Amino acid sequence: MADPAAIAIRNLTKIFPVPFRKEKVTAVEDLSLEVQPGQIYGLLGPNGSGKSTTMKVVLGLVSPTSGSTEIFGRSSLHVESREAVGFLPENPYFYKFLTGSETLHFFGRLCGLSGPRLAARSRELLALVGLETAANRRVGSYSKGMLQRIGLAQALIQDPRLLVLDEPTAGVDPAGSREIRDLLLQFKQRGITVLLCSHLLGQVQEVCDRIGILHQGRLVSEGPLESLVSVEDQTECLLRNASPELLRSIQAQAAAAGAEVIQIRKPQTTLERHFLKVTHGVSRDASTQPSPQHADVHAP
Amino acid sequence: MPTSTPLDPSVPVRHRWFSPARLLAIASNTLLELVRQKVFYFLLLFALLSIGSSLLVVQFTFQQQFQVLKDVSLGAMSIFSWLLAVLATAQLLPRDLEDRTLYTILAKPVPRFEYLLGKLGGVLLLLALSLALMSALFAGVLAWREQTQLALIQAATPPEDLEAAVQALRASTFTPSLGLAILTIFLRAAICASLTLLISSFATSSIFTVIVSVIAYIIGHIQPVARDYWLHSLPAGQGVSPLVQVFLGFVALFFPDFQLFNLVDEAAAGNTIPFPLFAQTSALGLGYAMVYTFLAYLFFSQKEL
Ligand SMILES: Nc1ncnc2c1ncn2[C@@H]1O[C@H](COP(=O)(O)OP(=O)(O)O)[C@@H](O)[C@H]1O
Ligand SMILES: [Mg+2]
Repeated sequence: MADPAAIAIRNLTKIFPVPFRKEKVTAVEDLSLEVQPGQIYGLLGPNGSGKSTTMKVVLGLVSPTSGSTEIFGRSSLHVESREAVGFLPENPYFYKFLTGSETLHFFGRLCGLSGPRLAARSRELLALVGLETAANRRVGSYSKGMLQRIGLAQALIQDPRLLVLDEPTAGVDPAGSREIRDLLLQFKQRGITVLLCSHLLGQVQEVCDRIGILHQGRLVSEGPLESLVSVEDQTECLLRNASPELLRSIQAQAAAAGAEVIQIRKPQTTLERHFLKVTHGVSRDASTQPSPQHADVHAP
Repeated sequence: MPTSTPLDPSVPVRHRWFSPARLLAIASNTLLELVRQKVFYFLLLFALLSIGSSLLVVQFTFQQQFQVLKDVSLGAMSIFSWLLAVLATAQLLPRDLEDRTLYTILAKPVPRFEYLLGKLGGVLLLLALSLALMSALFAGVLAWREQTQLALIQAATPPEDLEAAVQALRASTFTPSLGLAILTIFLRAAICASLTLLISSFATSSIFTVIVSVIAYIIGHIQPVARDYWLHSLPAGQGVSPLVQVFLGFVALFFPDFQLFNLVDEAAAGNTIPFPLFAQTSALGLGYAMVYTFLAYLFFSQKEL
């Protein structure tokens, strides 16, 4: 038998009753999709399209009205299905009375970790998300970006095979969200599956292998990223040190072969890249001083 | 950028349907939450009451003095532990729901009953700790008054009567029944905590939870009296309708008869608590606490987050 899908959602419908009203809210309607192990899957959609609800059903936090969901072949209705999953909810909050380090210890103990192994793990994760300097501060004093970081660390505590991230870069500045993106690519290399939901399309396009687009609870488009965004009848070609004569001759050759040169222009750097260059790519949330860890961010 | 390394795979983490370590993690975290809310400041008030009451009545005989001290201290312990049980428990679930900390906890492999038991366990730890501290304070004041009285007696009593007088003094201070009374106070608070947990498992706000819990406590106190009145003091020939009987039966079944816990007053009055009676009351109390917790689980397991 083939390996089970990391996430399998079959004909999922979720209808919320509205208290004191007759009509109901259909958050998700007849949704079916699979996330294969090792993929980064991007679930897109406008606000209120049912992304968070889908994730909550997958994690067993909300029960489906009909249909079923599985994680690595185990039904979401069973607690064991959550063994190998890390979840970062939308706008996460944690116990305000705990410090960052205590927060990771708490979640680690919930996952069956303890002793020096847990201590080492939580130190490693605090470094990974750039919160070493804030490790002993109360979470109540964290900024929004720091909450996302501690949330990501908490999701990773038991070294899960699947990460479910609900808008992980909401409220995070560009350098921070680039770091999160780099982390996601790193997880992918290690074979960790990621289900990501966001409405920041640019970011999703940079990391996701496969995309599903939800609109009013229905899946309106789904497939590998390239097949969704490539323009089938066009080809791009980047040249360095091309002389005007060369460009003219290319245009002539194209015309002779019956093709059309639509546009010739200088490639533009992205605003994000420019922003990172002039701010040295360092997020204040991560640490108070630029550290060598962030050196890779300077690279164009 | 630092890289994340996989956890050592030679130490597998297996899911177990019940894990004492997880339960302890939630319970101790709950205790920490309550402690960091500085609830222990109420102990200052308790100390004030206990010491104050023992100083106000120095002109009485020593039996009366100890009587007042025990009445006030045990009474204050009862009230404080009840208040703590209701107020601390009522805010636990609503707060976790509101702050969405519940999402992150239940998205880990934590069964819902374990979460609920952990929360209740945290409150019980808090109650045990506060009662232990109050008992220590109370015992300290009692020992101090005993020493003072002892000095007075030794100075004023002829040597041939001294032994009897000292024994009379000792008999009116520390008695085993005092210990049983404090355990009974803990038990009553534990019932109230589990009842409050049950209410908060379906309530929509903590204010509602507190109000309903207080009402339930009052019903538990007056129901035996009310039942007696309805069933026995009606004029002869005028029977109680079966509907009322079923209703009274239900009320009697669902709400514990808190009058049973009046053995605390017995101990305060210097009477001995018979051990079988204590055991019986404990068993009943534990039974109620367990049933309430189970019902709370039934509601909570259906809850949509
Ligand atoms: N607990 C709930 N009760 C009632 N309606 C809800 C609840 N949760 C979500 N909804 C509704 O379901 C729809 C989808 O919400 P959600 O999944 O949060 O969307 P998204 O995450 O894509 O922004 C929205 O219309 C929202 O109002
Ligand atoms: Mg959402």
